[in-house]
Amino acid sequence: METEVQQNQAQQETDPTPESAVKHLLSFALMIGLTLVAFAAVMLEVVPAGMVIPFILVLAVIQVFLQLFTFMHLDLKNNRMTVTFVMMGLIIGAICAVALFVLG
Amino acid sequence: MATLVILIVFALFLTAIWTGGYDKQLLNRFRSHWLWDWITTVDHKKIGILYLIGGAFFFIIGGIEALLIRIQLLVPNNDFMVGDTFNELLSMHGTTMIFFVAMPLLFALMNVAVPLQIGARDVAFPFLNSLGFWLFLAGGILMNLSWIFGNAPDAGWTNYVPIASNEFSPGTGIDYYVLGLQISGIGTTMGGINFLVTIINMRAPGMSLLRMPMFTWTSFVASSLILFGFPPLTAGLFLVMFERLFGANFFDVAMGGNPVIWQHLFWIFGHPEVYIVILPAFGVMSDVISNFSKKRLFGYTSMVFATILIGFLGFMVWAHHMFTVGMGPVANSIFAVATMAIAVPTGIKVFNWLFTMWGGKIRFTTAMLWAVGFIPTFVMGGVTGVMLASPPADYQYHDSYFVVAHFHYVLIGGTVFGIFAGLYYWWPKMFGHKLGETLGKWHFGLFFIGFHLTFFIQHFIGLYGMPRRHFTYQPEDGLTTLNQISTVGAFFMAAGTIVWLINIIKSARSAIPAGNDPWDGRTLEWAISSPAPEYNFAQLPQVRSLDAFWFEKMEGNKKMIPAEPLGPIHMPSSTHWPFIMTIGFFISGLGFVFRSLEVGVLGLILVFLTMFIRSFEQDHGYHIELDEIEKTEKGANA
Amino acid sequence: MSAQVEHKGTQAHLPPHPEKATMESRNKVLGFWFLIGAETVLFACLFGTYLALKDSTMGGPSTEELYQIPMVALATFILLTSSLTSVLGVLGIHRNNIKQVKLWFWVTVVLGAAFLGLEIYEFFEYVHEGHTFTSSAFGSAFYTLVGTHGSHVLFGITWIFCLLIQLSRRGLNMETAPKLYVASLYWHFVDVVWVFIFTVVYLMGKVG
Repeated sequence: METEVQQNQAQQETDPTPESAVKHLLSFALMIGLTLVAFAAVMLEVVPAGMVIPFILVLAVIQVFLQLFTFMHLDLKNNRMTVTFVMMGLIIGAICAVALFVLG
Repeated sequence: MATLVILIVFALFLTAIWTGGYDKQLLNRFRSHWLWDWITTVDHKKIGILYLIGGAFFFIIGGIEALLIRIQLLVPNNDFMVGDTFNELLSMHGTTMIFFVAMPLLFALMNVAVPLQIGARDVAFPFLNSLGFWLFLAGGILMNLSWIFGNAPDAGWTNYVPIASNEFSPGTGIDYYVLGLQISGIGTTMGGINFLVTIINMRAPGMSLLRMPMFTWTSFVASSLILFGFPPLTAGLFLVMFERLFGANFFDVAMGGNPVIWQHLFWIFGHPEVYIVILPAFGVMSDVISNFSKKRLFGYTSMVFATILIGFLGFMVWAHHMFTVGMGPVANSIFAVATMAIAVPTGIKVFNWLFTMWGGKIRFTTAMLWAVGFIPTFVMGGVTGVMLASPPADYQYHDSYFVVAHFHYVLIGGTVFGIFAGLYYWWPKMFGHKLGETLGKWHFGLFFIGFHLTFFIQHFIGLYGMPRRHFTYQPEDGLTTLNQISTVGAFFMAAGTIVWLINIIKSARSAIPAGNDPWDGRTLEWAISSPAPEYNFAQLPQVRSLDAFWFEKMEGNKKMIPAEPLGPIHMPSSTHWPFIMTIGFFISGLGFVFRSLEVGVLGLILVFLTMFIRSFEQDHGYHIELDEIEKTEKGANA
Repeated sequence: MSAQVEHKGTQAHLPPHPEKATMESRNKVLGFWFLIGAETVLFACLFGTYLALKDSTMGGPSTEELYQIPMVALATFILLTSSLTSVLGVLGIHRNNIKQVKLWFWVTVVLGAAFLGLEIYEFFEYVHEGHTFTSSAFGSAFYTLVGTHGSHVLFGITWIFCLLIQLSRRGLNMETAPKLYVASLYWHFVDVVWVFIFTVVYLMGKVG
């Protein structure tokens, strides 16, 4: 077990790109922005009536993807299995929610 | 009052322990007892055996429930088991067989075989593995306590509201169902996550995903189905519990609720559930058929693809259990088409098994008999499934014995036959000796004949109009002879099961050592001793192909090429915390069943306390040193 | 005989990404992602139930009348910020800076508690308006969905709190670091669910 850690350490010490807080602060700003837009769209009625709900849902989905791929350190290259399962969870979740809404 | 007493006793215990007022010698005798070893084990091989014992125990109970049902239906207007009692019998039979027999026995096979097949030393989370087992047992025991305390669940294994609500089912019955299943379901979900991580992260060097044995692949997809399929049940059970216990209004139309929500939640779980119990059986079939045909599996890649497709489509078809509920023709059609589509990948699998056998050198061991018996039986169940998939036709079949016949054909012909095949196949790996072949063949023969006798007839019983879940019929219905034949078959199955139990005892008594590889196997589990040593592999093997062990044999090697040098092996420590945590869940469940909020919460406090203590624990396991490994390996090769 | 081995508590040099450095930590992270997948489906079912039942108010206040958007907006920003602070805590782990880890995770716990306080106050207001767990199907569905989220927040702050105690006692090492990483994954998931709750429950509720 110790050798494994040392091997990974060696690999990462030669990896020249350290993580920065700036990327996360930028993500955060975007998320705040998306949230503000969603609240504004509903409270200030700036979006036409039929479009509001799809609009805020799209904003929510964008924010969720931001969370997944920045805050939660999910990346498409090395975590293919994880990404697949998370997407499957979202899809099956969407099916459940929509089915219960429509058929319930 | 009860709570006060419990708290006082608790406090006294804690004081006694903390002031050292306990007998250290007695404790040591406990700690070195074999029973403590089994209660605290985190070894996947032992946990597999525990699941086997638990599952077999509930199999007997569920079987007795079935026999009682069939005896009641022997003659018209029988008064042996009527009314509520009959409803309790059929509800408990179904719930027990699916949740406390099929799933645990499949988990037994998965625990025993999957880590060995991928060349790993244990599963990813040994602690969770143990916890999952104890939670299953606690849930099963909790639900079956209803027989002792009176008022067992009686709304079917499907527990539809509003009949399962307080108005029509007052008393404890349904609460046993809700809490028992919730506790057991938590254990199952843990098991699913465990196998997913194990299979993804802990394969031996060289074992790519497409070099894994089919049993591992099907266990992987089944575990994904568990992961995504159990949460809807969890949600639904919470809703029923909140409605029954705390006055919530999800299903009560008078308060704005909608009973069909339960049906959706139950079947969004329920349909993946049946794929959860069939896919590992398919995996056993693939491994057994290829082994005993001395031929590699035909169309491996298409088998993998078909398995994944079945898993995925399994989430899209649930409403075929609800065609008559009134969703309308559009919804019905969508689900009908999706249901029929699943027949395609399943058909691919069946043909691949047949093509594997074609041109092979077939040995009819008992395991192979179960596999060969499975093929026509499961296919029969599958085709009646396609019949049921048509909504207009289903309006006639729904709630009749035709449906009962269909699902027993796929569940017994598929899952049970698969479990028996797997048990006969992997028995030597688990216990070091094979199950007797002669008694095995009697087991198969009696059970196979009995099964078809019971359930083939039921197709016609259903087509002639007998509804399911009815405790009797009239003499003029013309159903008497058919029902009697069906009952006779049930006794054949009972006889077969008794022969199996005798076989287990007899084989254990004579205990003829089976050796590493009694079947001339193709996969990694046959490369190590039987039973496997504590650490599984002294050196993790280098995998060079699909059917990894067979490849080495064809290259002239008697053993696998090691992928690492010999060295001390790190093993996880045994722990009693899963057992304690389960006691917490059990107390909580019992509390809620008897509508005592305090006891319910007390149990949960124990659960969280255990989690807290476990989190702060610093036991990092132990090492098996080189000399012990070498001694074990020498003994195994002697 | 096999010996019990006690690993040393602290390590001189923590690898830059401890959550990926050993088989054990990789297993924990992957296993937790799968748990998140399962919980996604669980919450989706509660969302579906809520959507099916939200109009069954039994004469009580409707979603347009009931929801207090300013309070919800404040709670949203608090939770979002706590998500940021937890990721800054993880950054501290990656930089092997225990002070940074402690600071940001403590802030996360405090913000989480503030969120919970606000939510409990909000529920009190609704109960005053006659919107209770047992008053209608809408009530049961609302409190189950939002309450389940709230109990997840409670579990989260308790968990992170316990981990902070472990951190103080044992330092930042290969044992504590992956646990904090996993806890922060949980915390982000809880925020993700809240994004859907404020959108689907509150904002959609206001639109009607």
